[in-house]
Amino acid sequence: MGSPPPNDHLASLSGGPATRAERASGRRRDLPLEVSTYAVSDVVAGPETGFSAGCLTVDCAAIERAALDEPGLLGLRVRVVRPGDPVRVTNVLDAVEPCVKAGDPTTTFPGAAGTLSLAGTGRTHRLAGVAVLPTADFRASHDVTELSVYPDGDSFVDMDGPGAYLAAWSRTTNVVLSFECDPAVSLAHIDSSIRAFTLRVARDLAATTLDAEPDDVETLALPAVDAGLPSICVVLQVASEGPLVDTYLYGRSLEGLVPTLLDPREVLDGALTAGQYDWAGSRDPTAFFQRSSLLLELLRRHGRDLDFAGVILALGYLPSAFEKRRSALLSARLAHQIGADGAVLTTFQTGNSHTDTVLTCQACERLGVGTAVLFAETNAGLTDWVPEADCVVSTGNEEELVPEWRPQRVVGGETMYSGRSAGAAGPVPVVSYLGAVCQMGDMRLQAVSW
Amino acid sequence: MVFITALPTIATMVGANRILRGVAVTNPVGDPQRERADELALRRRIVERALTMLASPVEANTVWEA
Amino acid sequence: MVKVVHYLNQFFAGRGAEEAAGSAPLRLEGAVGPGRGLGIDVAATLVCGDDYFGEHEEEALEQLLGWLEEDEPDVLVCGPAFGSGRYGYACGTIAREAARRGIPAVCGMHPENPGVMAAEGAAYTIPTEDRVTGMRDALPRMAALARRLAAGEEIGAPETEGYLPRGLRRNQVAGKTAAVRAVDLLLAKLRGVVNTETTADFDRVPPPDPVADLARATLALVTESGLVPAGNPDRLESNRAHSWFAYPLTGVDNLAPGAYESVHGGFDVTNANADPNRLVPLDVIRALEREGRIGRLHETLYTTTGNSTPVATAAKFGDDIAQRLRDAGVQAVILTGT
Repeated sequence: MGSPPPNDHLASLSGGPATRAERASGRRRDLPLEVSTYAVSDVVAGPETGFSAGCLTVDCAAIERAALDEPGLLGLRVRVVRPGDPVRVTNVLDAVEPCVKAGDPTTTFPGAAGTLSLAGTGRTHRLAGVAVLPTADFRASHDVTELSVYPDGDSFVDMDGPGAYLAAWSRTTNVVLSFECDPAVSLAHIDSSIRAFTLRVARDLAATTLDAEPDDVETLALPAVDAGLPSICVVLQVASEGPLVDTYLYGRSLEGLVPTLLDPREVLDGALTAGQYDWAGSRDPTAFFQRSSLLLELLRRHGRDLDFAGVILALGYLPSAFEKRRSALLSARLAHQIGADGAVLTTFQTGNSHTDTVLTCQACERLGVGTAVLFAETNAGLTDWVPEADCVVSTGNEEELVPEWRPQRVVGGETMYSGRSAGAAGPVPVVSYLGAVCQMGDMRLQAVSW
Repeated sequence: MVFITALPTIATMVGANRILRGVAVTNPVGDPQRERADELALRRRIVERALTMLASPVEANTVWEA
Repeated sequence: MVKVVHYLNQFFAGRGAEEAAGSAPLRLEGAVGPGRGLGIDVAATLVCGDDYFGEHEEEALEQLLGWLEEDEPDVLVCGPAFGSGRYGYACGTIAREAARRGIPAVCGMHPENPGVMAAEGAAYTIPTEDRVTGMRDALPRMAALARRLAAGEEIGAPETEGYLPRGLRRNQVAGKTAAVRAVDLLLAKLRGVVNTETTADFDRVPPPDPVADLARATLALVTESGLVPAGNPDRLESNRAHSWFAYPLTGVDNLAPGAYESVHGGFDVTNANADPNRLVPLDVIRALEREGRIGRLHETLYTTTGNSTPVATAAKFGDDIAQRLRDAGVQAVILTGT
């Protein structure tokens, strides 16, 4: 066989033909991901977006003007909020960490905002200490109940006060994009515009670092390792229930997903993006895919005390017992097939997705794959359980009430789902805080017996 | 006792010992998608399975399919 | 000066044993019986027969809570009930209702007393022995916690303070992310050390022996699907049901649409109302009865709505219905759930 055709982008990534040793071990040469981190100490609004000496300048006006070109958007206000501000950000749809593919910025968030390219390899720059928070009050412009599954529940990020510890983004400086939606355009279209626009803003902010010196560089590699190490995979549960309650892989909805193997670095590098706006506390915002504590921990320990076998992406909230059991079986079979001794099972939101998780737990255990399961709890404890789930990590009680906080300012929309004013909301349940009990395990909240 | 339910994992959680998987939450021992005679036959099969389970020794939290 | 009210059943209040179990609530001045051993000043003692409480819960509570409202104590002490289920249930229930009205409450009972769940996390329970021999040990521990509650002190974790976990799931911030804890626990599990942070802690009952001879057995039908005669004559609730109901099946061969319906608020009842046998398979059971596969069908259907029912309530329903079935000589049950 001859050398690959000169302009074959995928072939140029492949690192060449496998060596004999690699073929014997079953692994091709690894494609590492190099992540350069740029710490941002301050964010200011200014006439030109740029990055210098740790300070990020954002041309808010230009971003606001650009939104007017997007279908379905009547307007955009861009505001910067900082940790400690007396501000409650509401109607928060997602959190995105600014990042850019240094080799070819146009491939950042491939499929979702950028051109298609294999994520998880090459060089990526990220800003630390900054997040882009898109907000939109869909209820102000549309009847959300016309969707068959529609989002419910408030979504807050409190920059101070008793709820600040619950959202990761009370500690970042946030560029808040508050979108105004066109009632004449469908919610699905508007959401599509918002997501793509937000991802491009995140990319453009990170693109200011392309010529700068990073504060930290980390290489995430998955070389073949000692066969004696336990092989661990992740079964990452995602949901796809329609527009506004969906997850996207390389830019397309996960509807109909059959359990699929991904490289963890694809998840970290923009292959998965969020579009689910139900129950803020138990969502997986995009930023939790980008900086997944679980995937980073397994990558960093790969070769030390474990062999990270990969990430199996699987749906939760499957609509019938048969489909749930089928997906559980297919996930378990894939885990077994890739040689996993153990699997960490994550869960997406609460309710019957927990049944998907426990069925997957049972299916894995029956094939000899030991499991650890991540579950958020309610006041009544676990939503579902099986005897095989003998290793369950609690991500906190989502129903616990947080004492009232009256911020000086509310950004993103004044009215809560209950009709109350967001500035005088009374005690608020933990589930109202974005990502607070995320069952990919990015937070440190834990419920204990009391 | 046999507990017929479409959510056997919850039944296991609360400690039921003889659990028979039902058709659906809205119709544990029926199936509106089927023709009448077919549905009756299904219900019969389910109930007969339940009787068999009542007459069989089981381990704790056992789930049978109908 | 801390004001304490003490709740006792008829026996511990010296009103009599089982024969007085049906006695209505009454209020006595000062401490009575075990109340004298608490070591704190008891302003009043409320008494109720265990059976009266179980059978007239609403009236009993109205009376007892009315007295509490007048007395305005700083804390309510209930029991100790030791292993007595009916007494424990009464203690847990009145403690819960008092606590929800702003009067902190402490009970004493054995950890496996079904009354533990009745408090629903609103009141505190000090664990005691199973039998009354544990009285001397229980009273000072109940009194100590009662004093602290009356003083408005913050109470620490159950293990530290010596009370039973109230079934609350309270958040705290761990040292590591949940993800890192999951990886650590999984690796330990693969090495043979299995630990969990959370589990479902419902009580376990060993599976009963198989029914020896179905062809001679009496089988009963029970359901939580909210199935009732059309029109819901007894007003079974669509959620948070307060009771279960018994309906006669004599002469009924199948559950005809239009004659029966479901009032369950937790699922779409269209399919069920089109053919209620889809919820309770009466048509098939009658056929099997005629064929001799079972001895006979018990002539009463037991029904309730299983939707947002507090666990303690559901457990009590189960106990009550099981008691009825046992008294009626039923050997087998099919329970249908939704």
